[in-house]
Amino acid sequence: MSNYIPTIGIEVHVELKTNTKIFSPSRNGYGMSANTLVNEIDLGYPGTLPLINREVLNIAIKAAKVLHCNIRKEMHFDRKNYFYPDNPKNYQITQARTPIGYDGYVEIEVDGKIKKIEIEEMHIEEDTCKSAHRKNVTLLDFNRAGVPLIEIVTKPCINSSKEAMLYIEKLRETLLYANISDCKIEEGSMRCDCNVSIRKSEDSPFGTKVEVKNIGSISNVGLSVEKEIVRQTELYDKGESFKEQTRRFDSKLNDTVLMRIKETGNDYRYFPEPDIPYVYLTDEMINKVTSTIPLLPDERRELYKGRNISKINIEKIIANKSLSDFLNNFLEEKIDFQVASNLLLGDISSYLNKEGKIITDTMLDNERFIDLVNRSSTRELTSKNIKEILVDLLESDKTLDEIIKDKGINNINDESVVKDIVLQVLAENEESVRDYLEGHDRALKYLMGQVMKISKGSADPLLASDLLKEFLDKKK
Amino acid sequence: MSRYLDKSILEINELLKQKKIRSIDLVNECFERIEENEELNAFITLNKEEALREAQALDDMEVDNVLFGIPIAIKDNILTRNLRTTCASHMLDNFIPIYDATVVTKIKEKHMIIIGKTNMDEFAMGSTSRTSYFGAPHNPWNTNKITGGSSGGSAACVSANLVPFALGSDTGGSIRQPASYCGIVGMKPTYGRVSRYGLVAFASSLDQIGTMTKTVYDNALLLNAISGIDLNDLTSADREVEDFTRKIGEDISGMKIAVPNYFMSDIVSNEIREKIESVIDVLKESGCKIDYIDIKYLENAVSLYQIIAMGEASSNLARFDGIRYGFSKENPSDIEDLYYGSREEGFGEEVKRRIMVGSYLLSGDNAKKYYDKALSIRSDIRTSFLKAFENYDLIVGPTTTTTAYDIDSDMSDPLKTFMDDVLVIPVNMAGLPGLNLPIGFSKDNMPIGMHIIGNSFDEATIYKLASFLEKKLNLDLCPKGGNSYE
Amino acid sequence: MDEILTREEVLHVADLAKIRIKEEEMEKYQKELKIIFNDIEKINEVEGYDDDIIIAPFSSEARLRDDEVERHIEIESTLKNVPRHSGNYIEVPVVINE
Repeated sequence: MSNYIPTIGIEVHVELKTNTKIFSPSRNGYGMSANTLVNEIDLGYPGTLPLINREVLNIAIKAAKVLHCNIRKEMHFDRKNYFYPDNPKNYQITQARTPIGYDGYVEIEVDGKIKKIEIEEMHIEEDTCKSAHRKNVTLLDFNRAGVPLIEIVTKPCINSSKEAMLYIEKLRETLLYANISDCKIEEGSMRCDCNVSIRKSEDSPFGTKVEVKNIGSISNVGLSVEKEIVRQTELYDKGESFKEQTRRFDSKLNDTVLMRIKETGNDYRYFPEPDIPYVYLTDEMINKVTSTIPLLPDERRELYKGRNISKINIEKIIANKSLSDFLNNFLEEKIDFQVASNLLLGDISSYLNKEGKIITDTMLDNERFIDLVNRSSTRELTSKNIKEILVDLLESDKTLDEIIKDKGINNINDESVVKDIVLQVLAENEESVRDYLEGHDRALKYLMGQVMKISKGSADPLLASDLLKEFLDKKK
Repeated sequence: MSRYLDKSILEINELLKQKKIRSIDLVNECFERIEENEELNAFITLNKEEALREAQALDDMEVDNVLFGIPIAIKDNILTRNLRTTCASHMLDNFIPIYDATVVTKIKEKHMIIIGKTNMDEFAMGSTSRTSYFGAPHNPWNTNKITGGSSGGSAACVSANLVPFALGSDTGGSIRQPASYCGIVGMKPTYGRVSRYGLVAFASSLDQIGTMTKTVYDNALLLNAISGIDLNDLTSADREVEDFTRKIGEDISGMKIAVPNYFMSDIVSNEIREKIESVIDVLKESGCKIDYIDIKYLENAVSLYQIIAMGEASSNLARFDGIRYGFSKENPSDIEDLYYGSREEGFGEEVKRRIMVGSYLLSGDNAKKYYDKALSIRSDIRTSFLKAFENYDLIVGPTTTTTAYDIDSDMSDPLKTFMDDVLVIPVNMAGLPGLNLPIGFSKDNMPIGMHIIGNSFDEATIYKLASFLEKKLNLDLCPKGGNSYE
Repeated sequence: MDEILTREEVLHVADLAKIRIKEEEMEKYQKELKIIFNDIEKINEVEGYDDDIIIAPFSSEARLRDDEVERHIEIESTLKNVPRHSGNYIEVPVVINE
């Protein structure tokens, strides 16, 4: 198989988190009974006219900002005309000529190098209705019709499936953190279309473009791009050409499948939407929105790195926005952040997963968490202790001292007390001591167990093991 | 039979206030007259039962405004909740709207009584009302003549005194041209003056709802009632609601009036030009300063109209697909059959032709070649009108090039319908207000109208001049040579 | 200029508009559409205009609506005008190629 250079451009649609739809004052909601979240505008009734939801503009401004786009301050909307049953007016209101954002970028890290994925433009548009296909009929639910979308279009600057996946991941993370969309690919609130072509060299013209639509997960984005590259390479190698076409990824076949050949290119008959006057964005509006943008993932990564959190923990925290938000509450405190991140990712996460909660659903407040982190880093509380007290900590407002008292936790971390126990164990287990000295490390574990047994589990394990080693080494 | 409807609105209002008559008397009179004049075919749907019920209910209420209890007819492309609205099309002949147009809400707030829905060209596409699925309405001045269109039914019912008020819509002259043919006062307000919410869109950037009445004063009163910002229509203007009657009766001497040369060129019949000249003489005698001027690109307005109106229409009418409402092909074999079948059967010829032309004009490179160019020239037309209004109070000319022609005349020239509106289309392009005022009759006793065009949002000045001329000319505007109900 | 459109040209615009043309109407449309297209060509003779466009004679910028739920329509009202429905769903012949 020959080597070709893949060229990939990606179009991503995300649904915006608003209370109401973009052009009508009906609810933007999910999972309701069919056709109940609609009014005459959403149904494309004769005589209806669009209204503009201010919040959609605010969120789009925010998106433009976080994607480093220029913002167009004077814009209008356009009609994209095509017949489809999910398109109530048989035209979609979008922005073809004056997209709100243009010339932006998203940074990804590919094999240790930073690459800027260039954003050609991002625009506002309305979603179509939802179709369910049965044997002989298609059922239409207009609850989704008119849900605000932004479409983000990259330049054809992506060159591998890996880059494609990294881009989608980064985009998703950024939009999620900026509170623009919940970006649930499985539920359809984030949808990806990839345009893939291949060519011989940087100097050759672009190859025939194939669009793979509505890819259902990030890993399938990677797979569809890979499969397309292979498929197109094989065709070119056989000397075959093919027509511009639209395909979809079939997760059962694990391959792309032809949907339709683009005969003459789509003729969407765009023209400016006469029902909506020009929209002007003021600096005041833009600044106000900008000031509400929360810390973005890359900014957080930097902050966490500066607080000596391990790279693994940083990525795990970033992957869970509510934990990251929680951690950010006390970034200015003088605590051991690695311990803090371990606590959040360990026992606390297990609890949250089990209960199906996020951290803000619990009673945990900053003060008690900081107390917990400190007692944990000074080993006043062992990991076993933490498991014991966690539920009370998360489900009540008792202080740590109260919980410890209630649970009857009485840790022995007084060095002199633990030392006595260690000496007692060494005296009573001469055989194991000998084994250890002969190089059998397993003996240490046994001795340690004896210490814990005598102390009824309350000796600080780290202290005990330090002391054990200290006295054993003296016998060498 | 009572003849209250022949009185002026102010007189009727006085009688209602004094409880000498009741709204239901007026409503009954309307229906009697409509039944007597059935051959005019002015209405598609009558709202008799509901109108009588509503009028009855007004008996116990205080007469709180000048339009209280007055009957009105509504063009059948303006949505009326629970009252069939067809757009004179098979596509909507069973369509029951689930909401009221904003103008209808306003009319109901004034306690006016909706008598029925008037005949029109299918989806307002036409200049004769002959494209109606329900057959053409007839001109009360001569039932062998057309009413003009598209608001032909509204023009006919007001002209024949069947109903004192009617609403029409005007995309390229559809109020003013039939008003001229039928000898009534018809106002297309400034674009944005009246909400379009609930008006079935033909060409969104040109459409405007307007008022059709016997007299200038009544016309201003009705415009008072339907104007104003509507939060449901982003193109409705955020303007104080003014009293459009306020300049009526003012002295017109010193007014500066322009007459575009193109409007008086040989595209207009001699008879009409002469009539307009005679009225211009009256204006001069009354102290107006008259200048003949050129306004750029007026002669291109029809081409712009063909491109913009049909382009927008092709998109606006795409929603009629047989899925959510309206005519739907029975037992469609597949989705394409549903689309093609519903639209083939549901739309009439003129509508289909215009949608096809519009789709073509927006397709591929044509959008640039035609549409963008039309939007540019349109901008220049508007600018050149606004420039004229820096020096003039009003612009006048004829409303139509001929008087109403025979109803059975040839319909095969697809361009004729646009040429009928050649003098009125430029005003829609510029978004300005324009009014037709009856100024006299042709040799064969058909009405001739003067077109009075005002500056943006200056309807009040149009009414001022129109009312002056109305009084000065003092025409008998009852069809059939006098009051047909004496 | 040609006198009439070709059949293919008529069918192309009819397809854009999703309108079926009956065989007996074909000749009429070939003629009429061509007359209109020729007339529209006149626009290309116009010169000297400015490139600025006007979308509509707007009198102000777009007003923005607050993001608050105001109204829905009852499902019964929606379904009243719907030609085919199945429960709450609006029905069309099955659409393939999704």
